Amino acid sequence: MWTQTLFQYRLALAIGASAAGVAVSWMTATPIGLVAPVAAIFLFARGGAVAVLFSVLAIALAGLVIATSFNLGGFRDLTLTWAGFFVVALCIGAIVAVSATPGADDHQTAIRPTAQKVAPSYPVTGPTPEEKAAPRQSPIVSINAQDDEITAELMLAASFWGGSPFHLRYWRNEPNGNCRWTEVRTEAFHEQNGIRQWASVSADLHGQRSEVPLPAKTASSPPVDDDAVIAAKFVEQLLGNAWAFDRSGRPTYLTPFAQAFVSVTLDEFQAAADEGLSFFRRTSHPDEYDHIDAAWRHSLRTGDPFYIERRIRRASGIFDWNRTAIVPTRDGHGRVTGWYGASMDLDAYRVAELALRERERELSQLVDMVPSHLWRLTPDGEPVFYSKRMVEYLGQDVADADERCIGRLEALIEAIHPDDAAKFRSVLDRCLLTGKAFSMQYRLRRADGIYRWMSSRAEPMRDQDGRIVHWYGLCHDIDDQMQAEAAIRQRERSLRQLVETLPALIYCATPGGEPIYRSQTLQDFLGLGLEETDETDETGRPRLAGTLDAIIHPDDLLTVKERYGQSLSTGEPYALRHRLRRFDGEYRWVETRAAAMRDPDGVIAQWNGVCLEIEDQVRAEEELRQVHDRLARASQAASLAELSASIAHEVNQPLAAIVANSHACHRWLSAEPANVERAKITAERIIRDANSAADVVSRIRALFKRSTESRSATSYSDIIAEARQVMADEFVRHSIHLDIEVANDLPLVKLDRVQIQQVLINLIRNGIEATDSNSGEKVLRIRVLRDEDVIRTEICDRGRGIACPERIFEPFYTTKDRGMGMGLAICRSIVESHGGRLWAQSNEPIGTTFSFTLPIEAKAV
Amino acid sequence: MRTDQPLLRRTDSASTRSFSEPDRPSVIIVDDDPSVQEALSELILSASLKPVCFASTQELLDAGVLDSPGCLILDVRMPGSSGLDLQRYLAQSGFPKPIVFLTGHADIPMTVQAMKAGAVDFLTKPVRDQTLLDAVNAAIAMDTARRAKAAVVERNVDRLNTLTPREREVSHEVARGRLNKQIAFDLGISEVTVKLHRGNAMRKMQAGSIGELIRMWESLPARMQDGTAN
Amino acid sequence: MTANEHIVFIVDDDARLREALIELLASHGMNAAAFGSAGEYVRADKPNMPACLILDVELPDINGLDLQRQIVEGDHPPIVFVTGHGDIPSSVRAIKHGAVDFLTKPFNDAELMAAIHAALDQDRERRAELAELNELRQRYLRLTPREREVLALVVSGLLNKQAAAELGISEVTLQIHRRNTMQKMEAASLADLVRMAERLEIPITHSRRAGGERT
Repeated sequence: MWTQTLFQYRLALAIGASAAGVAVSWMTATPIGLVAPVAAIFLFARGGAVAVLFSVLAIALAGLVIATSFNLGGFRDLTLTWAGFFVVALCIGAIVAVSATPGADDHQTAIRPTAQKVAPSYPVTGPTPEEKAAPRQSPIVSINAQDDEITAELMLAASFWGGSPFHLRYWRNEPNGNCRWTEVRTEAFHEQNGIRQWASVSADLHGQRSEVPLPAKTASSPPVDDDAVIAAKFVEQLLGNAWAFDRSGRPTYLTPFAQAFVSVTLDEFQAAADEGLSFFRRTSHPDEYDHIDAAWRHSLRTGDPFYIERRIRRASGIFDWNRTAIVPTRDGHGRVTGWYGASMDLDAYRVAELALRERERELSQLVDMVPSHLWRLTPDGEPVFYSKRMVEYLGQDVADADERCIGRLEALIEAIHPDDAAKFRSVLDRCLLTGKAFSMQYRLRRADGIYRWMSSRAEPMRDQDGRIVHWYGLCHDIDDQMQAEAAIRQRERSLRQLVETLPALIYCATPGGEPIYRSQTLQDFLGLGLEETDETDETGRPRLAGTLDAIIHPDDLLTVKERYGQSLSTGEPYALRHRLRRFDGEYRWVETRAAAMRDPDGVIAQWNGVCLEIEDQVRAEEELRQVHDRLARASQAASLAELSASIAHEVNQPLAAIVANSHACHRWLSAEPANVERAKITAERIIRDANSAADVVSRIRALFKRSTESRSATSYSDIIAEARQVMADEFVRHSIHLDIEVANDLPLVKLDRVQIQQVLINLIRNGIEATDSNSGEKVLRIRVLRDEDVIRTEICDRGRGIACPERIFEPFYTTKDRGMGMGLAICRSIVESHGGRLWAQSNEPIGTTFSFTLPIEAKAV
Repeated sequence: MRTDQPLLRRTDSASTRSFSEPDRPSVIIVDDDPSVQEALSELILSASLKPVCFASTQELLDAGVLDSPGCLILDVRMPGSSGLDLQRYLAQSGFPKPIVFLTGHADIPMTVQAMKAGAVDFLTKPVRDQTLLDAVNAAIAMDTARRAKAAVVERNVDRLNTLTPREREVSHEVARGRLNKQIAFDLGISEVTVKLHRGNAMRKMQAGSIGELIRMWESLPARMQDGTAN
Repeated sequence: MTANEHIVFIVDDDARLREALIELLASHGMNAAAFGSAGEYVRADKPNMPACLILDVELPDINGLDLQRQIVEGDHPPIVFVTGHGDIPSSVRAIKHGAVDFLTKPFNDAELMAAIHAALDQDRERRAELAELNELRQRYLRLTPREREVLALVVSGLLNKQAAAELGISEVTLQIHRRNTMQKMEAASLADLVRMAERLEIPITHSRRAGGERT
């Protein structure tokens, strides 16, 4: 101990001693004291410095000897003393130098691996270039002993693979045959890309070698006669690692590999044991230590073998699973002499086991969580597994049947609805027999007694030879679905019923118009169903046309076909009133309406139509119309009173003039002398006015005599042409140019030829008269054109124009000097009775246009 | 014209009423159709007026109510004589009762004649109640006004009759505008006498001034204006 | 204006009738002027002489009765209505508003002429009266304000004395005024003046007797 202490403070001591020596020397004036610093210098000097010092001292001595020999009087004592000093110094130096060789005394400090506070400096060595150049298998070069080499390789391997630091002191063979004690340290560090790189340092420890047991103890180091150790070595040969303990449990042997594995040296283990800790302390998981320690002590005490699976801390700090087995060696008396054992890495095994268990757990979770019933049967059909859901549903597990002493399959079938049970059994039996997949829907009773519809499928699992090993089945709750389907069916039924009971005749047709469905009421009405008018009927006409021909009234057929066709092609809704043939042959008025039914893309999928019988309605309308007619006739009579007043007035007009003229005439003739001239004039006027009065009367008669029976489809352009011909000389007479424009494509119009000509002539005549009075351009323009569903005739004049374009149509209104004013009223009533309109408009800048329209066809009913 | 009125003979009560209230204007209805009488009476009553019904002109004349205030509702065609005749008669006889004609059959000449002859209005059946009432009210107003005027004249006449012949003469002359001197000369009396007579006359006539006297004199019927007693 | 000056206006839209009427009137030696519409008639310059208007009820631009109502305010000839189809309410209205007659076509000669003559007479009278009144008005306008005051008082029946006192002048002055007034008004007597005053509608402000009756 005290030598250790001295060693630590040696430098200080040396300096102190030197100082003391110098002090003594100075005080005594002799060089005696200088021995101390010289000795210190020799101690602390290294290598070259020592040689220098030797040289210095030798030269100094030689010089002194020479000086003495020359006997320089009084300096002789001094030179002698100094010479003596130098000799002593040289001797000290020699002694110091000698002590540095191997086998030196124990002032050499031992390097303890655990306490390296001061990093010693070693000459760093490494493989010489020749060694590097030489091909070799092992990175370990020239290890002295065979054992060392093996050990080193093992340790290196362990370090390399484990990533733990590699620390080895070894005898290094030099090319010159010497061995040098070398230490190598290798540590791993991780590059950024994850690749492990090793850094290695070798240090020459040759100067520090001591006899203290070295860290890397080779196989030759341990006591060779220890049973446990021997046994451990055997084990080591098998497993690669082994431990040996003495009787008290102190580790005596530990393979380098094992040490490297845990990066704990034997010394450390032993030190731990010395401290009273169990051997396992350093390497065990804290949680397990106590348990392991207890077991180990138990074994030590009782001699029971020590088997334990534990987590062991590896050099990297990670805990791995490990199985440790340590058994005792006994002597001939059965007493425990030592312990030996080994560890096996269980980690992979453990991990695999855990993974397996995890997967198993997942699988079983899957099976239990799937919202269906999973079941398994033996090839005989006996249930061996129900998934958790199924168990919950049934309220019983597979094994429950056993308790009740009934077959498992029976127990299952019990839960099936009685109506389905028999079928289930038979189907299952057949499947079991044939090996075909099982599929069936049946009602299964729930734990609470409710039956729900299930859909079940099962398939066999076969082994390599094709034999069925198990049946695996899936049972799926379709009850809600079944209910929904049932509801839909019900609704469909009620809808169908609705359709059938509606008091309308309903039909459906393809987009092409072919009937695909007729409601019962329609079929009953027509007296025929769809089948009866097959794809083509006897005459070969396609179904639609054939059907229409058969059931539509001939008068309406054309219109129906046209309209229906139009609707089908345009997609526009169809509405038409027509007559439909009833089963008894009678035709009844119906109103048919059809609309297209489109799919989500807007394409017509189907036409749906409805026929409503409106026979009664039509009859009623007809009657109403008749009543209206009668009423009109009656009111006509009423207005007759007014009309007669108007007529009376109108007739009175010329009459008043006639009377006045007559009086005048009479007076002229009565005068003295008689004014015959004036009388004549007056008389002429009387005649004229009387005639026009007669005209009035006849025109009035004509007004009431018009009838509507003589209407027929006529070419309007013919009528125009005729009117033109009739008025031809009037045009000539008045020197009026007629500008006439008749459209080409005028269709036939149903009209009373005579009446319409009357209208035309009247209007033309009016136009002529108006134009006549005009001083400017004498043109009368007539235009006839088609305007949608009417033919419009326009007669334009450039006459004076009329102030009241509406009033002129009033009966008995006239702006003319002659004329009664009936013409336009009659014209209007004729036009209106044809369903048209007659009106007048002022022209810009002068003149009037009379226009009237005639509808082209009577509106379809 | 309303023909759906209940048949109630009110004539009698109406007539008695008319006699007991001579001052209230009455509306005399002459129609041979009782339902018409009825309807018209209702209407007149509703206007707070007094209807009096007669079935014919003769009845009316016999009743002698033509002096009473009020008006007449006549039809042109009535048994006996026509309404126009009655109108003419009344005008001639000095019974200036305003007439409202109401008839179902009329022509224009007739209408015009009636109107020219002074009818208040000429209405044709069917007639709106209000139209008839308006005409009746207008007629009554006319009658009232005329009566008031006539009353004044009558008063004047009465006063005139209190004058002595001489006073009358003098008044007449004064009304002509002649001076006292001249009158005295014409009548051969003294101016003083003239003044005396004039004063008396003025007093009796209750004329406040010459102007008044002149006006009064002019309002007298023509036959009385000549200064001589009739 | 000669005694028999006259003009008969005819307004009717029927040209024949216009023609015939002119003829008829000519045969009676009467002057006539015809128009085809109310507008024409109204716009035309009419001579200042006794006139009457033969007016058709059914005119193109306005109803004859409406025209009557329009022109009745002012100075217009008496109207003889003619109509082709008259109704009774029209005729009543026409007469009420002062038409001389309402004839339906065809009308006879005598009726028409009677109406025309009556109308012309009426118009003459009216014109005369109007002329007289105008004359009186003219005279009145010649009076000085004082003279007017005097006139008003005198016709009220006030004695000279009273009138003078009222006006605050001497009786003599009053008499002078009175004389002047009578002269200017060309009144022969007090009675005359009274009548004139009445016609001119000069208000009577005084009566000798307080609360005296007015007639």
